[in-house]
Amino acid sequence: MTASPAIALESVSKRYGSRTIIHELSFTVARGEIVGFLGPNGAGKTTTMRMIAGYTAASEGRVLVAGRDMATDHVDAARLIGYLPERPPLYDALDVSAYLRFVAKVKGIRRGAIAAEIERVAAACRLEQVLGDEIFKLSKGYRQRLGLAQALLGAPEVLLLDEPTAGLDPGQIQETREVIRRFGAEHAVLLSTHILAEVTLICHRVAIINGGRLLAIDSPAGLQRAVEATNQVALRIAAEPAALRAALLAVEGVRSVDIRGEAGAGLLEVECQVDADDAVEAAIARAVAGRFALHRLERREPTLENVFLRYVQAEPARGAAA
Amino acid sequence: MSGTLAVYQKEMATYFRSPIAYYVVAVFLLGSGYFFLYNVFLTGETAMAGTFQNMGILLVTLAPLVSMRLLAAEYSGGTAELLLTLPLTPLQIVVGKFLGALTILLLITAGTMVDLIPLYLFGTPETTTILAGYIGFVLLGAACLAVGQLFSTLTHNQIVAALLAAAVLLGFWLVGHLQAFQSSPALRGFVGYLSFSLHFTDFIQGLVRTEGVVFYLVISAIALTLSAGYLQWRR
Repeated sequence: MTASPAIALESVSKRYGSRTIIHELSFTVARGEIVGFLGPNGAGKTTTMRMIAGYTAASEGRVLVAGRDMATDHVDAARLIGYLPERPPLYDALDVSAYLRFVAKVKGIRRGAIAAEIERVAAACRLEQVLGDEIFKLSKGYRQRLGLAQALLGAPEVLLLDEPTAGLDPGQIQETREVIRRFGAEHAVLLSTHILAEVTLICHRVAIINGGRLLAIDSPAGLQRAVEATNQVALRIAAEPAALRAALLAVEGVRSVDIRGEAGAGLLEVECQVDADDAVEAAIARAVAGRFALHRLERREPTLENVFLRYVQAEPARGAAA
Repeated sequence: MSGTLAVYQKEMATYFRSPIAYYVVAVFLLGSGYFFLYNVFLTGETAMAGTFQNMGILLVTLAPLVSMRLLAAEYSGGTAELLLTLPLTPLQIVVGKFLGALTILLLITAGTMVDLIPLYLFGTPETTTILAGYIGFVLLGAACLAVGQLFSTLTHNQIVAALLAAAVLLGFWLVGHLQAFQSSPALRGFVGYLSFSLHFTDFIQGLVRTEGVVFYLVISAIALTLSAGYLQWRR
């Protein structure tokens, strides 16, 4: 018998009235895996996170957490989840330790173990200094870390993090990523973020969503490989634009030419979408060498940012029109 | 049960960090104290009947201020996203919060008992009548808070929740007056049965009738069930 994935979405759709926000989303997250959830604003990331967390129900399909159906077994499934929403859900009137105690009690942590558990998450999120402070007095960074701390309470099987590093300074971002990486070694983490570097640094796989549809899900390297067929070659060159464009498009392996404008001193900045063939660079160099003054030619590897933009731009937000 | 208790404890910890709770307790105690002195000096009777009647009206108007924040503040503060994703059933959330509000009501009730000291010092009031009045007061308060909580569950705006609850509770308080306009005995009975004030009058007069007790408990149960049902439905 195979163990159920920590998170499984099976053809999940979400409708508000006649508007469909999420279209038949299906993917899984395994234990010991950190999956980055990428998408532009309004892509449906937060709605998907909320469905997995049980804040809102799917209109169609099933959300399973460790095999438990969110629609019929909400309380049991919720015990397995730590959730940090986009806006940390904090009670300003409470102090930090009272807040963590409340969440710990509701999560069913044994009375005798609560103090040690609070100590553990406070240390992980560097909250020891503010445990006695009232929440309304906390800075944005501390509020974000407190939100993460409550999600970590009870070491849940599944951690859902919506923009966990928003509002943190660079040092805190690094510490938070380390906490997530350590946690993700044994648990399942679904991490929604706009920071592409974060995804490259800590995620095992990346899910790209737009218009409520899953466009791709693979490892960061796998996604980059998938678009290697459209590598870029950048040039800085002194030339007459129309003649240059014609010369470049005549080269075999050049798919498109984008003359981005003057770089000063009569130089043009040019980007070419080319095939993965290494010979293309040499062919471009030969095609322009005799006619124009070539100052620079370089091949650009596909970054995750390019990959993301390629997927998102190729798939206009159909959800908005639905 | 532990979930309900945790919600209740959180409610109690947050209630008295808000000025609203102090305001409601202070206004109620000042108001009931004034009515007590007025009634005792005006009638010269060592009884609480008149004071209870005034306390009832005060309760109907002030209970929405206690209940308005119960869920509306969770929505507007973004904490509903935590509360509704923790391993809690909607009923545990609703009951935990209701018990928190009920505790405020019991504190108010205990505060009004100061009035009894001069009553017993300088007169011979009927203890059973006073006891019945207090039972009615707590039952009426429970129903008012449950109805107020229902409106707090339905809206993100605390003021809207308070205004809607106050309007409905005043309606329940005053509906008994419509009896005078009904020629049909059945309608007269129905309107009288819905009246918060008519049932409360029985308690004030020392009558703890099953009908009155059941009425307030049923109103509370219906309102709490609707609140829990709405929380489930909005998922």
